[in-house]
Amino acid sequence: MKKSSWSRSWQVVLMLTLVLALAACSSNGGNNSANPGTGNNTPSENTSNQGENSTDDGKPKADADGNFNIADFSNVKTNRGEPIQGGSITFGLVGDSPFEGTLNFNFYSGAPDAEVLEWFDEGLLTWDSNYVYTNDGAATYEVSEDGRTFTFTIRDNVNWHDGVPVTAEDWEFAHEVISHPDYNGPRYGSDFTNIEGVVEYHEGKADKISGIKVLNDKQLQITYIKSTPSLLTGGVWIYPLAKHIFKDIPVADMAASPQIRQNPIGIGPFKVESIVPGESVVYKKNTDYWRGEPLLDEVILKVIPATTVVQELKSGGVDLVSDFPVDQYPDNADMSNVEFLGIIDRAYSYIGFKLGTWDAEKKEIAMNPNAKMADVNLRKAMWQAVDNDQVGKKFYKGLRWGGTTLIPPSHPDFHDASNPGVTFDIEAAKKTLDDAGYAYDGEWRTNPDGSPLEINFISMTGSDISEPLAQYYVQSWAAIGLKVNLEMVEFNTFYTKVGSEGTDDPNVDVYMGAWTVGIDVDPTGLYGHDALYNFPRWESEENDRLLAEGVSEKAFDVEYRKQVYKEWQQYMVEQIPVFPTLYRSLLSPVNERIVNYAIGDGTGFYRYNIGVTEDKPVVAK
Amino acid sequence: MIPQIFILSIVLFLMAKAMPGDALTGLIDPSLDPDALAAMREKLGLNNPWYVQYWDWISNAAQGDLGNSFKYKMPVTELISQRVSNTLWLALATLILTYLIAIPLGIISGRYNDTFFDRIISGYTYIGFAMPLFIFGLLMLWFFGFYLGWFPTGGSVNPRATEGVGYVLSKIYHLLLPALSMALIGVVSTVQYLRNEIIDTKQKDFIITARAKGASESRVYNRHIFRNSLLPIAAFLGFEITGLIGGTVFIESIFAYPGMGQLFIQSIVGRDFSVVIAVALLFGIASIVGALISDIILNIVDPRIRIK
Repeated sequence: MKKSSWSRSWQVVLMLTLVLALAACSSNGGNNSANPGTGNNTPSENTSNQGENSTDDGKPKADADGNFNIADFSNVKTNRGEPIQGGSITFGLVGDSPFEGTLNFNFYSGAPDAEVLEWFDEGLLTWDSNYVYTNDGAATYEVSEDGRTFTFTIRDNVNWHDGVPVTAEDWEFAHEVISHPDYNGPRYGSDFTNIEGVVEYHEGKADKISGIKVLNDKQLQITYIKSTPSLLTGGVWIYPLAKHIFKDIPVADMAASPQIRQNPIGIGPFKVESIVPGESVVYKKNTDYWRGEPLLDEVILKVIPATTVVQELKSGGVDLVSDFPVDQYPDNADMSNVEFLGIIDRAYSYIGFKLGTWDAEKKEIAMNPNAKMADVNLRKAMWQAVDNDQVGKKFYKGLRWGGTTLIPPSHPDFHDASNPGVTFDIEAAKKTLDDAGYAYDGEWRTNPDGSPLEINFISMTGSDISEPLAQYYVQSWAAIGLKVNLEMVEFNTFYTKVGSEGTDDPNVDVYMGAWTVGIDVDPTGLYGHDALYNFPRWESEENDRLLAEGVSEKAFDVEYRKQVYKEWQQYMVEQIPVFPTLYRSLLSPVNERIVNYAIGDGTGFYRYNIGVTEDKPVVAK
Repeated sequence: MIPQIFILSIVLFLMAKAMPGDALTGLIDPSLDPDALAAMREKLGLNNPWYVQYWDWISNAAQGDLGNSFKYKMPVTELISQRVSNTLWLALATLILTYLIAIPLGIISGRYNDTFFDRIISGYTYIGFAMPLFIFGLLMLWFFGFYLGWFPTGGSVNPRATEGVGYVLSKIYHLLLPALSMALIGVVSTVQYLRNEIIDTKQKDFIITARAKGASESRVYNRHIFRNSLLPIAAFLGFEITGLIGGTVFIESIFAYPGMGQLFIQSIVGRDFSVVIAVALLFGIASIVGALISDIILNIVDPRIRIK
């Protein structure tokens, strides 16, 4: 008997080994883009020019080849009828992971938590379609002559859900908590260290942050060390923390406290009524909301898996969803009870070339002039060899399309639409390689010195098409004579190899990744010479100069800043440490009964405006 | 048992640490200062050698402190206790449904073997063997949840029901469909076992003896065959305990039912080590205990086995 239970438990150990090994091969469900955003999950306003393919019923139609165009989608819901008084809607939080329940903007780290938060809390400043702070929000701001000192004034009628007014002290308190040495959230970073006195406070050398002054109950003054245009686009921390609730809780215990997990508080249009952890949230309207009383009485948020999102939408189980898998759109484009809104996503997929390593001592890039991919002609030929527009059509029905520069069109002010990037041309690619001396040696090309050339390419697993997509690129490169070895790896392994910890895998030459970009256009965090996430490990003086110009004081002049980034985009098209492969669209289905709803910023719609025309959701015919 | 758990804990710990990346790898974010991440790694002890990390963890675990989840920023014990009740209820419902379905089917199929009913039941068990649980779960969800609209399509409780009878009823209502989906697939092996045992036992000498002594047919089946045939089923029960704790990843994800299986997979993907190890260890302990319970049950129902 003893023997038998021994062997059984070893079976369990073996079984668990298999589970772990399997899990290590899978990945996080296709959500492969690392997120460099500042936590502001708000996408851009769509260029609202209606494309030629939209029809009378407002539904975008595919062209003859079955491809769609994001320009055919509106980002504002068409109102069909007058809203009724009150009503209740259901919001589907799509994802295979439930929200973690850290329900405070100062502490959360997962995107699902942000979706939960946005119904009941909001920042004190809002921004326009170019992501520049406006004076329409719960607070207004003024900038001093030298651009370093901001004075914020909170409106008088802005109250916490318990009725206590929001004060300048609450805002200061949020800064103190995030800068506290015991703070365990992910927010403390360069946005904070750019405030005068924060570093001293963080290191325990000061009791107060010298750069933050409470002028009176409603006014706060913050002095930044360096003035940059980025301050106006997401560089200010706009989320207060209710001091009357949190002041007695030690900073290290705040994130786990019931004040954040069970009875979270905010200033938004809805109040949290009840939470089933990881599963659902019921919100009731906040009659005291500073913009006015919300139209809806109630919002229910529930977690739904991506596998059933279409069914839930058809049956009216949800009115709105946080996220819709773009690959399911072509089959469901004529769903009769919803309208699909669409915008261009703040993201791009790209292929990067490893050109150096990370010097952990100096904390900067150490370029390797002898890297396998060091010749710009080789990189250029690899860009010329791939037809990204075709990839977008074949794999995404046109809802992703070929990228041209490293600033995506979600930033219409800064994306240089006139720059074609490097266009697809097989013959040109071959010529580029011939001219650079990459001669054929039998089946494959060799290095100019005659040594064999084998390029190691890694890509992430995640969705059904991850591997075919990567294979397409391998084949395109084979077509111009380059021998490329593909290895598919899972998300965590991928970024470890690429260098998220500074220990780059020397065997990787080329990789395929994706970035979600912040609302501020400044790409220094991805391409600066001291940026750990500069995965190609490439730098140049010109690049540093342009990046610095982009955030200089002169760049407060938008025209000048545009010019700088136009030059930078062109410079990157010439240097090609990475090249963009696909731009992406973001689709959002909305039940027909919903009115006053839009996605994106600067639309003039806020969540308290949302209403319904009928009691019950419209069901698909 | 103690040395088994101890060795299991070391193996689990090493394997978890061997996974590439850590809880901070997912935070690839240029707005986060790499120095701050390095400081966090240091603070979390992720840079220590494995035996130091293991000692820190095991000495706390021995006192019932399984550490904090990095992702959820709350104690692992609290996180598990939130999930484990969902999984227990789901598993209990599944278990009850499984035996309610399996025993009658097994008996009919075994007693009247090679009849029309037996063929139908056997046919069902073969389909059940061939059908992957996640496909079947999706079909059930689509048909009963969306098409007929008889059952809720996700979650473990109606968001509006917070207490009282309504809460309990809503909980039961929510777990019926996932439990039924699992039971309908889960019964097939039990049905087959029971059928084979009954057919086997029917031909044993003591049954022939019982018949020869003039025992009625129902007496033969109920007293002699049934009891003997239940032995392997009873032995199974202990292993079901593992399932009770472990939950099922497929069903929990399809029905968006927050239980242990879902927690386990998410913590692996998110490299939330403290949760991975704690949950895996719990599964391991559950199966060791399950094996023990199986032995004890066998000991009770089968007088031929006695612990000396």
